[in-house]
Amino acid sequence: MAILCEVAAPFVANSAVADTEIIWPVSLHADSCLRCQARRAAMAKTGRELKSMASEQHPAPKDLEWKVMSSLEGDLAVSRSWKKPVTLTAAALSMIVAVVIWRLRPRAHN
Amino acid sequence: MDPSSVERSREQELISRAQAGDRAAFAALVREHSDMVYTLARRLVGDPHLAADIAQETMIRAWKALPKFRGDAQLSTWLHRITVNTAWTQKKRARRHTGAPLEEVGELAAPVDIDNPEFAGEIADLRGRLRDALDRLPDSQRQIVVMKDIHGWSHAEIASASGISVTAAKVRLHRARARLARMLEEE
Repeated sequence: MAILCEVAAPFVANSAVADTEIIWPVSLHADSCLRCQARRAAMAKTGRELKSMASEQHPAPKDLEWKVMSSLEGDLAVSRSWKKPVTLTAAALSMIVAVVIWRLRPRAHN
Repeated sequence: MDPSSVERSREQELISRAQAGDRAAFAALVREHSDMVYTLARRLVGDPHLAADIAQETMIRAWKALPKFRGDAQLSTWLHRITVNTAWTQKKRARRHTGAPLEEVGELAAPVDIDNPEFAGEIADLRGRLRDALDRLPDSQRQIVVMKDIHGWSHAEIASASGISVTAAKVRLHRARARLARMLEEE
């Protein structure tokens, strides 16, 4: 009987969740087997639980809207506001430092 | 006018404005649907971080495709389809990175979040066990159970969203439910 129950199990599970009749010839065994009936009842409950999960919601991450809208702008909106001035200042500073180093370099005396 | 039709006409107005390029209107739509999209993404892939990425990409895809949205279906249904497609693409990407077969990617990407206090109290009851079992299903099987048994899609809709035949969708659903039953029984 246990082997028949195992063969019937996938069909019992499917019919329980879908709320349909168990297909023939599996029903010949499952309809009269207490174990299969218990399985069907448990899986029918699971099916109802799955349906009720449709109304349940996980809150989206708080920064989702910001990330989406930033992506639509191309680069991240925040980075654009400071990236250019910082890059220009860094370039100007490194040029000044290079000139100072060049002027202060030790020279060979003739 | 009943509240739902007021809501629908407000959404329709936001859609029209967003289709004309109004980003503020689109931001309002994102705000309204982000929980729904994130929830579906999380159910489809299990992992909350990956779900956040999928939700973000879904919204970006929606913005790009919005001019083609004709309003035949509800916006939420349309977003559902984009979310499923995006999750499918992410799964393929994950497969390329891990080298794992498609069926196994879900098992690699879906940790069971037992330590999370949000789930600790629920894990004992059926919903907790069910969520745990869903997380452990391979991606393709989990997706089909989510689409059919949670969201009530037809086999044809599932087949179209997943890029498989209706018969394949039925077979996959049959296997997924059988596996889910087995998992719940083993616990």
